[in-house]
Amino acid sequence: MKPWLLTIVRNCFLTVVSQTKRKQDVPLPADNEIDLADPALIAGDPDPEAAIMKREDHRRLNDLLAALPAEFREVLVLREMEELSYGEIAQITGAPIGTVMSRLARARALLKKNWHLSAEGSRHALQ
Amino acid sequence: MLCNEGLRLQACFDGEIDAGAVLEVERHLQGCADCAALLTDLEATRQLIRRDAPYYRAPAGLREGIMARFDREDGVQTPPPARLSFSRRFLSGAASGAGITALAAALVFFLAVPRPDPLAGDLMNAHLRSLMSDHLIDVVSSDRHTVKPWFAGHTDVSPPAANFEKEGYKLIGGRADYVDGHRAAVVVYRHGLHIVNVFAWAASTEKLPGEVTQKGYHIACWNSADLNYCAVSDTGLDELLDLVRLIKRQ
Repeated sequence: MKPWLLTIVRNCFLTVVSQTKRKQDVPLPADNEIDLADPALIAGDPDPEAAIMKREDHRRLNDLLAALPAEFREVLVLREMEELSYGEIAQITGAPIGTVMSRLARARALLKKNWHLSAEGSRHALQ
Repeated sequence: MLCNEGLRLQACFDGEIDAGAVLEVERHLQGCADCAALLTDLEATRQLIRRDAPYYRAPAGLREGIMARFDREDGVQTPPPARLSFSRRFLSGAASGAGITALAAALVFFLAVPRPDPLAGDLMNAHLRSLMSDHLIDVVSSDRHTVKPWFAGHTDVSPPAANFEKEGYKLIGGRADYVDGHRAAVVVYRHGLHIVNVFAWAASTEKLPGEVTQKGYHIACWNSADLNYCAVSDTGLDELLDLVRLIKRQ
């Protein structure tokens, strides 16, 4: 039932996006501001610095995922987070299986490359 | 990705290929540094996403509301597959205290769930395998007078291989394959962007699965003139059945 439901969700989302003519501006939850209610900052956490670094990694990955072209991001999220099969992803996106496989390969390679680039960038920023 | 086995390795990593093919990939990995490095990358990327990416779960209220609407609309709309409604009914029923009723309903659902058909699984694997590496087509041709005689020399059977290009199903070639221990002739069609594999082998006593959908692939099987036929594709079911009708009519 999950692929069936996700197909509907995807279609509704695309309809909303096209109606509001904001194709370039899809809001994603941004949390680059340090949240004062963050458990890491409340006394008791043995290593608040590590916790903040971890948060930073989460934010960086979120940004990289958001920056992927939509057709790459979609197959990657459906495969790695929703853990769907190629056939189910093909059904949801309407792309043939072969396309799903090649997009997935390119999405993974691109994310890996960008992750390393941004890791170097953030190290330089600290120096 | 330098090695052209990359997509097959990825499919193996994603659990999309059968045990035999997994062994082949493992053998290949031992001698291919490119693929060994790719596997490390695939694992690292997966770990990164599953560990660090935010996952937004639907709030419990929204989830329950949607599920409740499914229950109301059951029987009116196309019902979702029974396999999942089994666990959903079982869980929601047990939670609301209607344990006995739910258990009875669950048993009915459980018994009604079709067992995964091994032949259907084998056809799906053969279809997926054909889309990877370079084994979709052994003989490239849109001419029935080329494809059919090729089968005679390379497989046990020689099914008709008509081109239905006018109807939207272009004959693009044929190949020899194995299905469920039989040597099969496969007629390959292209429909839009989708590939349709039509497997044919000498009929024996086995039971054909008829029409099934597994993991987004549609499979339609029939028997004609001592041959078993199964068409497999990720195209729409109606489109697959259109092709089946064309093949039966010729």
